[in-house]
Amino acid sequence: MSKPISPSSPALSSSSSSPSSLSSQFSLSSPSSASSLAASAAPSAGEFAVRVSNVTFAYPGSEQPVLREASLAIRKGSFAAIAGGNGCGKSTLCKLFNGLIPHYYSGEFSGSVEVCGRPAEGRGVAELSRQVGYVYQDFDNQLVRPTVLDEAVFAPLNYGLPEYRAMGQRALELCGISHLHDRYVWELSGGQKHLLALAGALALEPDVLVVDEPVSQLDPRHARQAYEVLRRLNRQHGITIIVIEHHTEFIADYCEEVCLMEQGRVLWQLPAAEALNRLADLDRLGIQPPEVTQAAAKLSELLGKPSAASSYPVTADDAEAYFGAILRRRAAETGSPGKEAGGGASAGEAPPSNPSPAIEFRRTELSYRTVRKEKREVLRGLDLALNEGERIALVGNNGAGKSSLLKLIAGIARPTGGDVRVLGEDAKGLSVERISARIAYVFQNPEDMFIEDTVYKEVAYCLKRRRYPQAEETAERMLRAFRLEPLRDRDARLLSGGQQRRVSLAIGAAIRPEIILLDEPTANLDLATREELIGTLKELEAHVRTVVIATHDMQLVRQWATRVVVLNEGVVAGDGAPADVFADADLIRRAGLAPTQIMDLSARLGLKPACASPAELAGRIYGMLAHGKENDSHAARPQLV
Amino acid sequence: MQLVRNWFSRISLERIQLELMNTAYGSGHASLSRLDPRCLLLWYLFFAIVPWFLSSFVVLAGLFLLTAATTVLSRVTPFVIVVLCLGLIGQVGWLFVLSLFFGGDVGSALPLLKLTLKLSVVSLASITVFSGMDPEKISDGLLALGLPASISFSLSYGYRILPVLFEEFRNVLLSYRLRGQSPERPGFLYWRMAAYYLKLLTMAFFPLMLATAKRSRTTVEALETRGFSYGMRNPASKKLKLSHLRVAARDIAFLSGTAAYVALLFWIG
Repeated sequence: MSKPISPSSPALSSSSSSPSSLSSQFSLSSPSSASSLAASAAPSAGEFAVRVSNVTFAYPGSEQPVLREASLAIRKGSFAAIAGGNGCGKSTLCKLFNGLIPHYYSGEFSGSVEVCGRPAEGRGVAELSRQVGYVYQDFDNQLVRPTVLDEAVFAPLNYGLPEYRAMGQRALELCGISHLHDRYVWELSGGQKHLLALAGALALEPDVLVVDEPVSQLDPRHARQAYEVLRRLNRQHGITIIVIEHHTEFIADYCEEVCLMEQGRVLWQLPAAEALNRLADLDRLGIQPPEVTQAAAKLSELLGKPSAASSYPVTADDAEAYFGAILRRRAAETGSPGKEAGGGASAGEAPPSNPSPAIEFRRTELSYRTVRKEKREVLRGLDLALNEGERIALVGNNGAGKSSLLKLIAGIARPTGGDVRVLGEDAKGLSVERISARIAYVFQNPEDMFIEDTVYKEVAYCLKRRRYPQAEETAERMLRAFRLEPLRDRDARLLSGGQQRRVSLAIGAAIRPEIILLDEPTANLDLATREELIGTLKELEAHVRTVVIATHDMQLVRQWATRVVVLNEGVVAGDGAPADVFADADLIRRAGLAPTQIMDLSARLGLKPACASPAELAGRIYGMLAHGKENDSHAARPQLV
Repeated sequence: MQLVRNWFSRISLERIQLELMNTAYGSGHASLSRLDPRCLLLWYLFFAIVPWFLSSFVVLAGLFLLTAATTVLSRVTPFVIVVLCLGLIGQVGWLFVLSLFFGGDVGSALPLLKLTLKLSVVSLASITVFSGMDPEKISDGLLALGLPASISFSLSYGYRILPVLFEEFRNVLLSYRLRGQSPERPGFLYWRMAAYYLKLLTMAFFPLMLATAKRSRTTVEALETRGFSYGMRNPASKKLKLSHLRVAARDIAFLSGTAAYVALLFWIG
């Protein structure tokens, strides 16, 4: 381990200036405001929660450094986001803060790190961890104790702190889960587990809390809940929060500053609103700016005045004011914008008069027994018919029964009451193996599907097992269709999230099923991969006629689905074309759906039906500006885009 | 045939998991769970070792009665008892068949019965301890008796991870079924189906191990950041962890009662 440590005073001057100098080097505009942050944060070492100066690090056994001269300074009490594409070194950077690097991973290390004003050198993981809490992306694996309270007191107990019990209870209270203190960890929902992982890290009363991608494993509602907790910790308790995040809408709503990383370097560190306006940088790294920012950028492009030093809105509130002002400027010459109703029929491509639906639920009920021997009802007398050729999105909050519905179709679960008919047969009498020859089920977590040691074998497994003719050719074709050829000999478990998702889709599509069921296909994907997935879904249509997706991702629903089925408390609460369903604000609220920023903004601006994409919103506002009022041609146009 | 099918549908992985978790953690209401874990472990040590060196029927039968009583007190789930009986009958039954084959007669059943008794005493004592106390208490007890912290932690973590492993195992198994081919005909007494499922169960272990290896990376790192290895070297932490253990009057009563009973047995036998 080589650690040329720079003495602390020169490091101070170099690091405090480095974000601004880097930003002026790379960015196209407004270097002055970039340096203002650094200047305001410059004075004394004691004011920094963490400061990293010129750190270069390579994992043991690896030639390529993950961090290359990374420099960063985060003020005490800040709420900072570290963003960047996949594999740019975000997590590695954060592991410097609690000493996991270089103490636990002893690779090639150079540079210096300061935590809470003191050099990290010579302080081990155990010591630094008292000041820096860490919550992992796969937080489930971080929970090591059986009950909630045990988990919360685990760290203080390890440090031998006599008041451990009070510390754990306080941490649970801070996270709002003290009522769960005697529950077993495996009884908790995903959102509750995440809060518990937070509490476990908070129990030591750290000054800094690092949270790795809180949104990726949680549904939108729980993600927002987690962020609300983080905001409270930050504002009321003065804890410095550092999140690794690429969901820019959360960054816009919650974070004060953003550090953008590219290939192991910190490209710049800017206040959030300004950072999210660096559209060129974000675009290059595959990070999608907030939808409202995209819409604003699009609009000024349409209006023919794209500004270089842009200051587009980043939150829905800002956007409401921004677009409102633009519209008001024209309001003198126009009446109120036309509020045409309906328009949902455009999306309904499905043949409505299908005599026998592909899948049919008749008064279907499903209930489970829990560890405490209680009966839990998931579906309560559900009636639903899904037709061939539809792109169906199942939406609803956690526990509404989305996954259960898919499992019933796949024959994995059996109804406890009522009927399920798939492709004209009663599902009760069919084994999983029989059903799966015609209906493919793709798991929420692709890793659970992997049973072979190479991608090619994964895709070919079912074809060979079931003795399909030309199994090898089909497998090859699937690898080509899903762009997996370069990865064919890799172990699927070691691929990135997006690659794994593609493998799982290829596995599902390989047997040419009549129906494919996808459980949360966009969960856990970064946004570039997500865009790619939507392309892949369209590709899937060449192979499969009916696709059913259970999802929380309203953007996906708007962009892809022809029919939306809203589940709430085990019954169908809404069913129709996306535009119709999303127009029903009451339904959205009742079913606990999280509308996209653009849908939210459309509602605030009084645009009906709600827009599906930033481009559509920009187009419609442009139309309103150009023609004085919104007319039908503009409302319809974006659906062709 | 329908009977066999019903049996198959009874034995689901969910059910096994539910029963196991209930056995391990559902003991809060058992009267034995109020005893000090150290005492119960010492008690167990005696019943796990001594029966092997005994040959008196009376003593063994007496010990059997005692452990059977404590097993009832530990509120064990019927599932575990069924497994135990199957195990005992299977183990000793085939020995008896083998002895008949080599020219033995009913007389050879007697020493086998003795073996069965010894096995039963030890098994019932184990069930008493592992069902009557939750893994946390056992793990504290082991730590207090001087075992390394890593061992006692592994025990409690093993239980914590059990539901996760089951979940994962179910998924892998399902993955095999969703992409595999079950036998066309079930065969006599469903033997083809049984063979198919057994094969799947075996094959599913390999992906399970890989997935577990992957998830343990985070766990090990997280343990480090939460001061686990620091705590292992820190005597204050151990003292704090065990500070809730107290030997109370009922522990003394339990141990001395057992001692008196065993002494009586030896005196008779």
